[in-house]
Amino acid sequence: MLERRIREYLSVKIHDDSVAVSNLQRIPGGASRETWSFDAEWRENGKKVSRGFILRRDPDASLLETERDLEFRVMDAVAAHGVPVPKMYWLESDGTFLDRPFFVMERIDGCETSPTKVLMDPRFYPVRAKLAERFVDILACIHSLDWQASGLAFLGSPAGEAACALTEIERWEAILDRDALEPQPVLRAALRWMRRHLPPPAQRIVLVHADYRTGNFLCDSDGDIKGVLDWEMVHLGDPMEDVAWACIRPWRWLGDENIGGLMEREQFYKLYEDASGFAVVPEAIRFWELLGNVKLAAIFLTGARSFCEGRTRSPMMAFLGRNIARLELEIMDLMGV
Amino acid sequence: MRPNAVESLRAAQAALADVIAPELASAFALDSAQTVQMLLESLASEWDTAAETLSRDNDTLRSLLSAAGHALRGASAGNESLGSVVSEIEQRLGDGGQTSLVISDLASRNSSLRATLESVLVVLEDVTGRAGCEKIDEVRSKIYEHLGEVATRGWSFWDVSSFRGRIAALQSSGAGR
Repeated sequence: MLERRIREYLSVKIHDDSVAVSNLQRIPGGASRETWSFDAEWRENGKKVSRGFILRRDPDASLLETERDLEFRVMDAVAAHGVPVPKMYWLESDGTFLDRPFFVMERIDGCETSPTKVLMDPRFYPVRAKLAERFVDILACIHSLDWQASGLAFLGSPAGEAACALTEIERWEAILDRDALEPQPVLRAALRWMRRHLPPPAQRIVLVHADYRTGNFLCDSDGDIKGVLDWEMVHLGDPMEDVAWACIRPWRWLGDENIGGLMEREQFYKLYEDASGFAVVPEAIRFWELLGNVKLAAIFLTGARSFCEGRTRSPMMAFLGRNIARLELEIMDLMGV
Repeated sequence: MRPNAVESLRAAQAALADVIAPELASAFALDSAQTVQMLLESLASEWDTAAETLSRDNDTLRSLLSAAGHALRGASAGNESLGSVVSEIEQRLGDGGQTSLVISDLASRNSSLRATLESVLVVLEDVTGRAGCEKIDEVRSKIYEHLGEVATRGWSFWDVSSFRGRIAALQSSGAGR
């Protein structure tokens, strides 16, 4: 059914009635949208063309409520700046074709994204150091982008460098107000603590990916990152927000202290400072790591609400919604209580 | 003797791992099966002691709120927000203790007590460290100690990867036999 509808859609987009769609399969990950992979074949100027695609469709309910056209536009803009992202093809903002909004992008074959694979598969052991360097270089590249010249001012800049932190506190506090189904003493206390311990002003307002971490890039076994994914939370703000988000414990994955499972913290800071020109300020990192953990808890609570209100039956939403306790432990640790 | 709830959950996990998962062809279905495994694991780990844990937590919360009420009462003169929290504590503790051992009743009671604790903690974060607030700081420490103990019991999101790694290793070692 979906395969037929995708074929009909592509026929309209490619202007070719002979288009064939095959190997349609839903793929794991990307919990905020349904992600589908498929192959398509058609004729162009008399020649057969075949290509792999990824379709990301809005779900009935999600961990995040974000605008897919924002993600589409940003990925298009950063590609021109040299950030590796899949090529974006088409965006549909309504449900005319597939019931819900969606976009279609290039499928990058021969890569892994799962942290389990990237960090535990022996194929990746010899290239871990290269992967770590690429990870940092690309983050610095994102932060060096001139967002005004790239047409990304529509994302809305905070009122000034000093306003970045408060803007994010307010963003996530509002989500907690909207979605928490139970009292959250630790999260509320943390938000209060953060208001009293604001970091130094941002060194510059930059494009913040806001979910830059192991698990959100496609890499090959040569240690090259071919695509940075999941731009749903992208915004303008403090570069330290991205640095700290990459550092938070949930994204260390292997249970040790290595950042993203890839490198030691000191190495991460040094590589980033060298590549970006920004100084990594420990005081700011502590604040942004704390905010990152609160943000992740709020995201899980959004999923929990969707589950409890019957908008999704995803076991992942139930699992995550029941399990924010260890994030609370991390939050209290960062608060120093 | 019949299989208890935890043993039954373990049976569901075993069927999922040994019978259902090997038949699944798509990566998405396998991923969902692993998530269900984790969900069942987290339920099994808390099932047997859930009522006792909630009951004990509720007693601790009542005791912490009472201590917070005493500490804040001394500092609340002329401070509207502190006075309002003291009233909230008094009202909550006046509701009476729990009698039912039904888990949803205990959880509902727990939620009410934690709602008041939330108000208390937010106020404490505003006044902590000030001169003359030593008693308040002491209560604040005890509250965090309790919240830390509760949090330690939970499953962590970052266990997911190692859990999946273990499952994958088990599956590949099984396939190699």
